[in-house]
Amino acid sequence: MERHDAIVIGAGLNGLVAAACLARAGLSVLVLDRASAPGGIACEHEVAPGYRLPRFTLGSGGLPPRIVADLDLPRHGLRFIRAEGGVTCFPGGEYHASYRDGVVQRREIARFSRVDADAFTRYRRDMLRAARVLAPLLAGPARPRRKGLFAGLRARLAKADRISAMAPADLHGLLRLATLPASEFLDSYFESPHVKAHLAAAAMMGATLGPCSPTSAARLVLPWLETAGDAMGGAPETLMPVGGPAALVSALRSVILAAGGQLRMEAEVTDIRIKDRKVQGVVLANGEEIGADAVFSGLDVKRSFLSLFQWKDLPEGLVERVGRVCMRGVAAKLNIALDAAPDFPGLPEGCPSLGGGLRLAAEIPAMQRAYDDWRARIPPRNPLIDVFIPSFLDPSLAPQGGHVLSALVQYVPDVLHEGPWSAERRKALGDLVMTRLAEVSPGMEKHVVAFEVLLPDDIENEIGLTGGDFSYGATTLDQLFFNRPFPGTGGAETPLRNFYLCSPSAHPGPLVMGGAGANAAAALLAAKRKEART
Amino acid sequence: MTPDTAHPDETAQEQVDLDNEQAAVDPALFEKQPVEPPFARTVHTTPLHLLISAESRTNRWTEWNGYTVPDVLTDLGDEYRALRGAAVLADHSPLVKTRISGRDATDYLQRLVTRDLSSLAVHAAIPVIFCEGAGLVLGDGILFRLGDEEYRLVTEETHLAWMTESALGFRVRIEDVSATLAMLSLQGPLSAACLRDAGVKDIESLAPFAACWADIGGMPVYVSRTGASGDLGYELWADVEDAPHLWRRLMSKGMSHGLRPAGFALRELARLEAALPRAGRDYLSAFAAVMSGDAATPFELWSAPAISLNKPVFNGGRALRRLADKPPRRRLVALVAEALEPVALSTVLSGTRPVGTATTAGFSPALGANIALALVETSALDGSLSLTGRRREGLSTQELVLPARIMEEPAWKMARGSAFPAALGL
Repeated sequence: MERHDAIVIGAGLNGLVAAACLARAGLSVLVLDRASAPGGIACEHEVAPGYRLPRFTLGSGGLPPRIVADLDLPRHGLRFIRAEGGVTCFPGGEYHASYRDGVVQRREIARFSRVDADAFTRYRRDMLRAARVLAPLLAGPARPRRKGLFAGLRARLAKADRISAMAPADLHGLLRLATLPASEFLDSYFESPHVKAHLAAAAMMGATLGPCSPTSAARLVLPWLETAGDAMGGAPETLMPVGGPAALVSALRSVILAAGGQLRMEAEVTDIRIKDRKVQGVVLANGEEIGADAVFSGLDVKRSFLSLFQWKDLPEGLVERVGRVCMRGVAAKLNIALDAAPDFPGLPEGCPSLGGGLRLAAEIPAMQRAYDDWRARIPPRNPLIDVFIPSFLDPSLAPQGGHVLSALVQYVPDVLHEGPWSAERRKALGDLVMTRLAEVSPGMEKHVVAFEVLLPDDIENEIGLTGGDFSYGATTLDQLFFNRPFPGTGGAETPLRNFYLCSPSAHPGPLVMGGAGANAAAALLAAKRKEART
Repeated sequence: MTPDTAHPDETAQEQVDLDNEQAAVDPALFEKQPVEPPFARTVHTTPLHLLISAESRTNRWTEWNGYTVPDVLTDLGDEYRALRGAAVLADHSPLVKTRISGRDATDYLQRLVTRDLSSLAVHAAIPVIFCEGAGLVLGDGILFRLGDEEYRLVTEETHLAWMTESALGFRVRIEDVSATLAMLSLQGPLSAACLRDAGVKDIESLAPFAACWADIGGMPVYVSRTGASGDLGYELWADVEDAPHLWRRLMSKGMSHGLRPAGFALRELARLEAALPRAGRDYLSAFAAVMSGDAATPFELWSAPAISLNKPVFNGGRALRRLADKPPRRRLVALVAEALEPVALSTVLSGTRPVGTATTAGFSPALGANIALALVETSALDGSLSLTGRRREGLSTQELVLPARIMEEPAWKMARGSAFPAALGL
């Protein structure tokens, strides 16, 4: 029987990161995926001949620098484009853009309010301070290390000491950020509804929270996680790999192959062999068995446990715990190919911020109403639309003169109050988004070459992501850090020995791209080192 | 003001029918002015830019508060000699000017700033500091009292959000008037003489930190005896449209006294010699400091900060009373390093232990030595200090450790700066 040190199920971004880390550490690694090409939800899709874009994701975002450096990805052809932070277009024709340059950013805010332009300095300081508190939590597993009774006690006392040493104002600030709704948190800095809606819209993408839901303020810090810079800097920037997420996938693939790992496509894992709560290997759909010392699952937590194992083999209570993990789709994906560059007459000509994406958003109360609709499973009436046109930054993604447009439509229920999505409802959603796009870019509808709507259900059926939830489990505070995917985990290890979860279902989830994969690989390598010592 | 409104068309005025309520109005007045998108002009210029760029012989520019300003116009040495021996004129329009007016303006400012303002007379100025609740400095500046209920606060950075927030419950109006007011700084021992020749009567009787309205060539100009050069100097506040004419007039009248235009580098050098800290350089505003160590208390930045602890209530008062009792953890001191050549100074060492950072450094022609403003741990101030410096020669970089000592007096502080009446000659 074929045997490997580690098998990674699912060639998604995190699975590939995990496999690359393991392969570079000298382990024999096999990546299995049922699709014909690697990439998982980041896989590339030709929506029309020559028009390439990621099928399920928006296509912006990059790996954290430490993973890029550890895996030596630049040597394998990975380059990033650093774009401005993006534009928000409001229904009245107003727009608000983000700029990296501090002076330009403040002047942009001053178009709405000069007081807000000054308040941005304090907002930026607080966001960067919070990002610095979060960074160590996101850099590795979130589980407290147990080093015996006294060491653990000391560590806890040290933590309590750190908290009590914080200035009351700082502690208050952190608590506000962790518990308040984004709308109230922003009210304490800004007065302009446009400035507040711009910041809230960027933070709410992918959340199962509305801007007025408690704890949604914590999401405001997400764009700042990788930002550093001087005191008077501007807004965070948007990263995009040259060639889109496909370039990320191919660079990772090349790292794995160079380090002696293997990828096998069109190989669906149907079962995981288990003995004494220890994973032994996997069974493929064609009946082939492959043995492994460790198995990594890049699937979401529900699929990992509920579809790969015999439930009777799982430890008691696990099925129930996994069942209780909340995974609900919030977004639909639209892929549009255009045969001409879209024109945005409402935006100033040559606005560099457009490269970072375009958000069609309303002011915060309307955004919250869209969220309330989602909770009531009403088809979206006034959705939040996040548009990214990667071909602005990288023209190679579309034929000469053409453009590809990715749109995530936020607050789309997976099932409607009346039942599943019908063909009319689906068409109505597509039309609504096209109408909204045509409002900011008149005439865009005439240039559409291809148009495709993927509802949460489609995403689940095609790629196997439960509920079509791009976050692999809701990112509310009860499902983050040491509660991710379920209480007492906080890392890649699972109740089963040698079975690791390397999808964003595990900590740090979707907050750090590739973070879950790197954590999972680090967990196995640490276990191996410990084994070698004893 | 649009050109249409500045020169109203007289024929159109005759056609106005006074009985008609639907009076004919110039539609241009209500046309939306196209707003220039912020990214379109990263070169933001002051009203004097065109005039000053004509004076530039070096093409060396720098950025100050978002504005493009000249760093050096001719030669820093020449400009410096003019500053210390005659007079220089510089454009300081990028400073942030905030107008505070209203019935509670005095009460409001008493709450905002740390020092007592009850002795501040109309047409007088005073340096002020303002802090947030924990006693960390947000900014410092010069406060002018323009009238009974009207003040102007001039700062390095904008503080509009904090000033608006602090105004809750006060009947005041706070406006950023930076764009409507140009400021020309005339500094040097002969600056009074230049102003006299330009037509300001009794300029010598203007006391330090006093101000008056003057008529220079038919332009109303607010003249104040202020400045950050450690010497005699005046600052002239004028309408942005008058500023270029004012500049030209001063330059032509001051020519015989050796008046020269100067850039930003000279302002920094003069400030360094006068040992005056600058926000954003020697300390960060508490709202901008991501690392808490970058913000400072007034006791760290000034040896005798302008704080009236017996004032009943003011922003940061409680924290400052607590801080006043104990010695500050670090102090901003002026250091001089014995080395002839200009060297880039960086870290302050006590023995081999780093105890501080040089925040502003430069070569002082007055002392013929490298000087620096540095935040240094108080415990190290009694011992011997040294400064690390770097000197480039060709391709090689020399790392130097220079013995440093603390200057008790600023490198340049002239009695004539505060003399009254002001000297009209050398």
